Amino acid sequence: MDYILNHFNYIIVVIIMMLGLWGMLSLSNLVKKLISMAIFQTGIILFYISMGAKKGSSIPIIKQAYDDHHHPIHQTINHIDYANPLTQILMLTAIVVGVATLGLGLALTQRVYSEHKSLNEDEILESLS
Amino acid sequence: MIIGFDVICLCLILLCAILALYIKDLMGAVIVFGAYSFLMCIVWACNAAIDVAFTEAAVGAGVGTVFLVSTVYSTTRVDSFKKNRFITQLLMFFVVCIVGSLLLLTVTDLPEWGDGNAPANAHLSSYYLENSIDDTHVPNVVTSVLADYRGFDTMLETCVVFIAFIAIFAILRVRKSRTNNDETSKIFELLVPSYQKVDSVIIKTASHLMIPFMQLFALYVVAHGHYSPGGGFQGGVILGASLILLAISYDFKKSLNYLSEKKVILLVALGVLIYAGIGVICLFLGGNFLDYSVLSKILPATDSIMARSHAMLGVEIGVALTVMVSMYGIYLCLSSNGRFDKGL
Repeated sequence: MDYILNHFNYIIVVIIMMLGLWGMLSLSNLVKKLISMAIFQTGIILFYISMGAKKGSSIPIIKQAYDDHHHPIHQTINHIDYANPLTQILMLTAIVVGVATLGLGLALTQRVYSEHKSLNEDEILESLS
Repeated sequence: MIIGFDVICLCLILLCAILALYIKDLMGAVIVFGAYSFLMCIVWACNAAIDVAFTEAAVGAGVGTVFLVSTVYSTTRVDSFKKNRFITQLLMFFVVCIVGSLLLLTVTDLPEWGDGNAPANAHLSSYYLENSIDDTHVPNVVTSVLADYRGFDTMLETCVVFIAFIAIFAILRVRKSRTNNDETSKIFELLVPSYQKVDSVIIKTASHLMIPFMQLFALYVVAHGHYSPGGGFQGGVILGASLILLAISYDFKKSLNYLSEKKVILLVALGVLIYAGIGVICLFLGGNFLDYSVLSKILPATDSIMARSHAMLGVEIGVALTVMVSMYGIYLCLSSNGRFDKGL
């Protein structure tokens, strides 16, 4: 039980990614496929973010003391006290780019719909042949 | 970090993901996916990734859901299926099970959740945490890594947003032929005299009051990103969301009066130009590309450390411009099918 709780994030990551993969492979609706793609993506983001989390740490904004002239006082910082900023910034940009590419996918879907009057993969294949 | 709360949220997330794939009505699936994104945002706040949670709340749950809703609105919400795909689904289930069990086998090699000495937390990230204040005077390490240490990464990500926007414009935007359009609208008026959007005074007044405060808050988020969660991406998305709210609650004409199509295309390029331009200025002053410390030669009363802090603000403004305008432009394209006449 303890082992599962300590690795719970990784198990959820695998399940979420596989749900997204299954949806992309087997659902026939194009919008559903795009939702599955976004779910797959959040699985990867969760993997990174939970890797960078540290037990008992604070958010990565450093507590800074200032002197009377508003100059920062030099202090030694222990990196264990703050969460990992590197994984966070990688995922922060990934989310914004993910939504932009989701918009691109949706635009393509709309063009497909205006050509074939359907979002269903089988019906589109039928009208293509 | 509250492990118990995380675990509950993650279980709810799984439930939402399964529901979003299961529901037959597309609008319902999209709304459940929005709930999924909000729950994700809570999990990230629990994992001390406060900037990521902020971005997810604004981008993933907010604007992403609006994009999906406007696509479903302008196509169809019925998930029609004639063929039974049960055999395909079963086959794919076995394939996915094999891949998933292989991935689960590797879980034993990974460090525990919340292990501070895990390899991912060891080398580079501890340098950023320990030296960010001395190098740049910026307490929010996420901002300093985003805009300074890993400036190339962010610049190219901004370029990706820009390219996605241009691609959506190229795919969807249609110029209507004037004669044809006039005739159809006249016929519509003859047939259905009350063919127009149902206006609600409550929605109009409420959004009219909200929009200035949203924009003010967005500017604060951009400018205060050095000291608090936030920055160019989050502030830009909130600015874009305020414009989208204007387009939803009134109509496209009103929002295009404030920010016309021509300005949209100009501003989205200007944002990338500001970012790359700051890098080029650094080159001309004798430093490397995006090496902000040399900017102290032209900025008045700044040493090389404060120059990095100020240049970060400039870079964030560039990012905010590109993101704001591209989110707004993508919404306009998606919700009107590229015609720019009326939306949701």
